[in-house]
Amino acid sequence: MVDVGMTLEMVQASQMGMKALGAGLAVGLTGIGSGVAEMGIGAAAVGATAENRDVFGLALLLTVIPETIVIFGLVVALLLLF
Amino acid sequence: MLRPERMRRLLIVAPKSETDTIVRELYRHNVYHIEDFVPESGSSDGLSIGHPLSGASDAASALIKIRAIESACGIDPENVEVRTRIPASKVRAMIQTDLPAIIEEVEGLVASRSRLEAQQKEHEQRAKELEPFVAVPMDLDLYRGYTRFSVFTGHIAHDVTIDAPHEKYFSDKVDGNMIVVVVPNEHREEVERTLLDAGFQAIPVPDETGAPADRLKAHQEEARRIEGEIAAINGKIAGIRERHADFLVACDELLTADVERAEAPLRFATTEETFLTEGWIPERNFEKVKEALVRATGDRIYIQELEIEDDARVPVEYENPTFASPTQMLIDIYARPRYSEIDPTLMVAIVFPIFFGMILGDVGYGAILLAMSLGLRKIVKGEGGRMLLKVLSYASVSSIIFGILYSEIFGSALPWPALIFSRHLNIGGAAGGHGPQVVELMIIAIWIGLLHITLGRILGIVNARKIYSGKHATQAVLSHAGWLGTMWGIMLMIWAFYAIPLMPDLTGLPVVAMGLNVAAVVGVVLLVAGILGIAQENPLELVELPTIISHVLSYARLVAVGLSSVAIAMVVNYIAIGMIIEPQLEAITPVGVIIIIVGILVLLMGHALNTALGLLGGGLHSIRLHYVEFFTKFYKGGGKKYNPFGMKPKFTEE
Repeated sequence: MVDVGMTLEMVQASQMGMKALGAGLAVGLTGIGSGVAEMGIGAAAVGATAENRDVFGLALLLTVIPETIVIFGLVVALLLLF
Repeated sequence: MLRPERMRRLLIVAPKSETDTIVRELYRHNVYHIEDFVPESGSSDGLSIGHPLSGASDAASALIKIRAIESACGIDPENVEVRTRIPASKVRAMIQTDLPAIIEEVEGLVASRSRLEAQQKEHEQRAKELEPFVAVPMDLDLYRGYTRFSVFTGHIAHDVTIDAPHEKYFSDKVDGNMIVVVVPNEHREEVERTLLDAGFQAIPVPDETGAPADRLKAHQEEARRIEGEIAAINGKIAGIRERHADFLVACDELLTADVERAEAPLRFATTEETFLTEGWIPERNFEKVKEALVRATGDRIYIQELEIEDDARVPVEYENPTFASPTQMLIDIYARPRYSEIDPTLMVAIVFPIFFGMILGDVGYGAILLAMSLGLRKIVKGEGGRMLLKVLSYASVSSIIFGILYSEIFGSALPWPALIFSRHLNIGGAAGGHGPQVVELMIIAIWIGLLHITLGRILGIVNARKIYSGKHATQAVLSHAGWLGTMWGIMLMIWAFYAIPLMPDLTGLPVVAMGLNVAAVVGVVLLVAGILGIAQENPLELVELPTIISHVLSYARLVAVGLSSVAIAMVVNYIAIGMIIEPQLEAITPVGVIIIIVGILVLLMGHALNTALGLLGGGLHSIRLHYVEFFTKFYKGGGKKYNPFGMKPKFTEE
């Protein structure tokens, strides 16, 4: 894969770039994932809360459960970069 | 602390003649939670629901009138500042003397206002109907009163040519064009057809005389004049609000109390001669209230303390130190604790601000939020809102403290290096020192997670012993211990294989068997014992095993969310200062000044946005860690709210 004309610096820079790309993908894709997951839960939770305000706490709890996915993505990204 | 307030269950029996005295006494103490009497159908114990005391309907109808006036004047008792407290006897006297006049005045004003509003609407409607006719220079009388001619007036898509003898006026000065056609009656139908083909829409001629333009102006002026009158009436109503708000809210309060007292017997059970009521009183008030009742009735009362059978029926009141009480709001959003379980308010009150500060550790943002929470306290008057603001002010103080430790102000560094782990990212090449210590911070977060979850499980063991009994309690305790064992077993095994900074390094321990060292073997034993412990209560719970990892790792958000907020702040600084403002400062030109102003705007907007995001991120994620990761380990909730019979007078005094 390494071209003959590449110096060590170029290889290192491209490695850094790959890492950054990977970090970006990790956050972006997990963000989409938790967004999709929270979409349905959030809609249902708002409906349930409108019916009965007492379930707000439970509704919030259920809504944020998929958020863990994007946090994992963020953790992976940070570990990749630092 | 850590337990809801202790309650006593009472049965009060007294002759019906004492109802008024007892209700009055209970209401005054404001501690008795009435258990509503529900008659069982078909039971033969001869109990029936009591009747309201005399005067209930009078007080209720007076209260309705006062509420109506309050809403007409836009007075909300929740939001009225208490200026003076009026003595109850004076309010009662004023209800007789002053109130009828106020009611009459307000009702009169409201009635004339709605009459004027109707008139105004009428004039506006007329003006709207006249508008198209203004385009036709013809008096309104001339449209009417023909026997041999038909008049068409209306909107039309475009001008048309009519074959029959006719007179026509077309104007495209108004919306949808205006056409007026006068034809002899015998040609009426063919002309109508021609017009309809061109999209004719008839509009009736207004029932008025004179030039349309003059009439339109007259109506508009009339509408404007009435608007002025309405404004004057609104001013008068505002004046009444200004003068009588204190009195009206005092009346509201007094009459509400009267109605509540008078209707209390509806919640009691009665026989022919006596009434009985069941309810709850906090333990510390018990003796005092009992004595007061005996004294007030001259010993014509029977009070018995009953056994507490079912803890789900006990009303729950928090008992926490003052600094922790605003946090009760956050617990109530989730669920009020059950009577016999641990009340986690105190722990949340301490840990929530710490988590918030860890996430949003920034002196600048902390100061903004602190100022905001203190400032809003003057505006927000509702009970819940104020409690939330207090929680926010504690959290922002913690945020300032962590900001000093992290050495952060609006994303830039304070004059000293970070006292704990640095979060300064290398954005725009601005980072000094040793850069962000992300890995260390992450491990600290994991430690916090491990300890927090361990605490939760230990509380789970305590709760299980309190709530359940016998075999069930043992099973629940073993299951919680099993979860703990599994978690720490996994950790021991990780430590035995990998050396992780800031964590015990157990890789060097002597190997026992199969390449596993002592720590790993202990870990495996703990893990297996733990899994057995979980399975003995309910094998299905084993599918939840992965949550051990995910819940612990979830605490990484303490660092991750915080770092993202730091990153946004630094990017804003870099864009606004580094890219927009600084290049212009080298040589100041008129255009440069504008660009600098734009840069300042970008800076302000960015930080305002980041403050809002920080508040949301810091608040929601900290509370979520409690709700999802902490509470699920031990907390059931679902207690009934303690709602004492009585009222704390705000606007009146006895």
